[in-house]
Amino acid sequence: MFNKLKNKIKSWTKKVSEKSEVIKEEPVKEIKLPMKFNAGMQKFEPDLEKIKETAKEKSFLKKITSKITKVKISGKEFEIYSEELEMLLLENNVALEVAEKMIKLLKEKIVGKELLKKEIESEIKDSFEEIIKEILIEPFDLFEKIKEKTSDQSKEPYVVLFCGINGTGKTTTIAKIADSLKHKKISCVLAAADTFRAASIEQLKKHGDRIGVKVISHEYGSDPAAVGFDAIKYAKKNLINCVLIDTAGRMHTAKNLLKEIEKISRVCKPDTKIFVGESITGNDAIEQVKSFDWAIGIDGIILTKADIDKKGGTALSVGYVTKKPILYLGTGQEYDKIEVFNKEKFIEKLGLED
Amino acid sequence: MLEKLGEVLRKATDKIANAIFLDKNLVDTIVRDLQRALIEADVNIILVKQLSDKIKKAALDERIKEIEKKEHIIKLLHDELVQILGEHRQLKLQSKQNRIMLMGLYGCGKTTTIAKLGNYYAKRGSKVALVGLDVHRPAAKEQLKQLAEKNKLTAFIEFEEDDAIKTWKLIKPKLKDYNVVLIDTAGRHNLDRELAREIKDLNKYIKPTESILVMPADMGQAAKKQAQEFKDAVDISGVIITRMDSSAKAGGALTACAETKAPVYFIGTGEKINDIEEFNPKQFLSRLLGMGDLQNLIEKIKSVTDEDKQKKIQEKLEQGRLSLEDVVEQVKSMQSLGGFDKIKSMIPGLGSAKIPEGVLEIQQEKIQKWEHIIKSMTPEEKENPEIFDDKKTAVSRINRIAKGAGVNNSEIRSLLKQYKMLNEMIKGSADMDMSQGMSQKQMMKLAKKFGKKKVRRF
Repeated sequence: MFNKLKNKIKSWTKKVSEKSEVIKEEPVKEIKLPMKFNAGMQKFEPDLEKIKETAKEKSFLKKITSKITKVKISGKEFEIYSEELEMLLLENNVALEVAEKMIKLLKEKIVGKELLKKEIESEIKDSFEEIIKEILIEPFDLFEKIKEKTSDQSKEPYVVLFCGINGTGKTTTIAKIADSLKHKKISCVLAAADTFRAASIEQLKKHGDRIGVKVISHEYGSDPAAVGFDAIKYAKKNLINCVLIDTAGRMHTAKNLLKEIEKISRVCKPDTKIFVGESITGNDAIEQVKSFDWAIGIDGIILTKADIDKKGGTALSVGYVTKKPILYLGTGQEYDKIEVFNKEKFIEKLGLED
Repeated sequence: MLEKLGEVLRKATDKIANAIFLDKNLVDTIVRDLQRALIEADVNIILVKQLSDKIKKAALDERIKEIEKKEHIIKLLHDELVQILGEHRQLKLQSKQNRIMLMGLYGCGKTTTIAKLGNYYAKRGSKVALVGLDVHRPAAKEQLKQLAEKNKLTAFIEFEEDDAIKTWKLIKPKLKDYNVVLIDTAGRHNLDRELAREIKDLNKYIKPTESILVMPADMGQAAKKQAQEFKDAVDISGVIITRMDSSAKAGGALTACAETKAPVYFIGTGEKINDIEEFNPKQFLSRLLGMGDLQNLIEKIKSVTDEDKQKKIQEKLEQGRLSLEDVVEQVKSMQSLGGFDKIKSMIPGLGSAKIPEGVLEIQQEKIQKWEHIIKSMTPEEKENPEIFDDKKTAVSRINRIAKGAGVNNSEIRSLLKQYKMLNEMIKGSADMDMSQGMSQKQMMKLAKKFGKKKVRRF
């Protein structure tokens, strides 16, 4: 994944280090030779130690001379190249707002700093890596959290609420998580709180049958918050560890629907609220995730359809605007096609670490 | 939708039009604003660069004189944008059986779109059959069935069969009497070989007259590749873009289609069955630039009102007289269009007008009240609202209605006032022939009219 971005960043850093203005500084030439220095003091015996040292010093100095061609990237120069970098980021689906911010941060780190020519490439890479590291929050382990809460035999189940716009794959993601829970021997129940879309309840029920977990559902058109509430009640009664609530896809621009999800969240008091988004969404991704974060305050993000396109920008965009971790990537239709989002691996794939 | 992009485009053209002298600085800022807006709308980066280069070049071209230059640039911008949006092509039904197959990624709204299209063609007098060939996603068949039942459409689904081609073979003989056959397929993406083979096979067996790719509006820079690869696998004849009701600007999807030469037939603008529109790049742009899109509005109104009523109202319109009941009828059908919120961008002058938040909702509530008020009137009052002009009886009439409808007297008065205004407006526009569509000039004229009077009322 993300190979394209990796290659482009590489070629970009190369260009900068090749083209940027070179300030040559004359190396200091005055070197006192030990023979002269010691002439009067030690007559016939040349100080072997000192000679050795001088030899060392010389080679050291030589190194410095080759490296002393220092380079300073001016603001103007940076702008020329940063435009190219910005285009790269945008092409790779990073939202404009986020791309601009990243460039600004990079500028602060690079411009005006005296750098050795050889170090430019790695310096840019390092700075860029730092920026991405700052943007992406370390994900938490959902399963550990569930285990933690339910280990002390309290009767409270761990509740996870899933939200997102239409067709991002909430139901499929829930099925995947339920399947993983089952493999980890954590009991769970699904709440079919999408009471709007045609056949959404049947869809979740079919998943439930396949995986072998109970699905709590009401009629179509009924109150989704009530479905969630009932599922939690059921879990308490039957000592089930985890409740996964599926909600209807809703456009983040529909205020009444955002109010509805706020109500579900208020009634069900979920331990974790997860936004399910698509990794192929462009600039709109930030609007989507912002609205949901504003409405219910999300705790984590799952990006689906990561197998469709190799561009990794959406992860950066949503990670940046929410300051919330990306937990998983959905990478296919089967139940096992869900990957833990690994920050180091993500950065590695960008090609910034050698 | 699209307000933000439209605003920038309008500002850019305004800036150009109002500039005394187009110097490099001004051009640069305008181009930068444009670039940002287009990139934020997910328009392909390369296209954005090309467009801005062209505008820069034209703006700094010494050979064109100042005044002409402005017009030249605005026209250039307009033309380029139309080009980016792609060709206008309608989905034309043929006299033989039309087999329209929809395909696309997972969760882009294929099944919902099938129901919308079914409804669209059924309302226009076609015999429509929906065929469910999504055998992979759990409950996809149930979804199609439920949608068909809800909207009184015929759906052919084989619950027992889980092979798409076998399903088609089973259903095919039953489809003889239908002239529009809409086929739902499973969501897939280009890299999945098995599903790619399935769609190719389906294509071979079904021989669709139209193979349509469904794409979501919020898709980013990945759109082009997807469009291209679908086109390579199966010859895509057209595209439908969904989720246009969000804050997404569909730049990615739209430009991808233009580049792959796959015309956009329809756009989906909501979750309800009527939320589908024909796509016309020029009109779409006119809407973006705040000049409205009356043609589409009229189309939409046609799709929600039945023909008899339409005729009656047309007659009354020609006489320049509407009864209160007609007004409510119209307002109701407007609500089934999705309310003011959806149609305001189509009305010239209103799309660009700043309407404070919440005002539209208040207006909706008001309309509900109007309905109650009119229901509490006597038939005579409904047909001849002039009766209220008689000062002697008006007060007692209004008192009675207020009691019946549970509203304040002032609310009844405001309804009567609105009615009078509307009637006057209709008289003024009775000479305009709406059925032929409107010329750009007429639209601009209307835009001005609405733009001036307007919005205070809303």
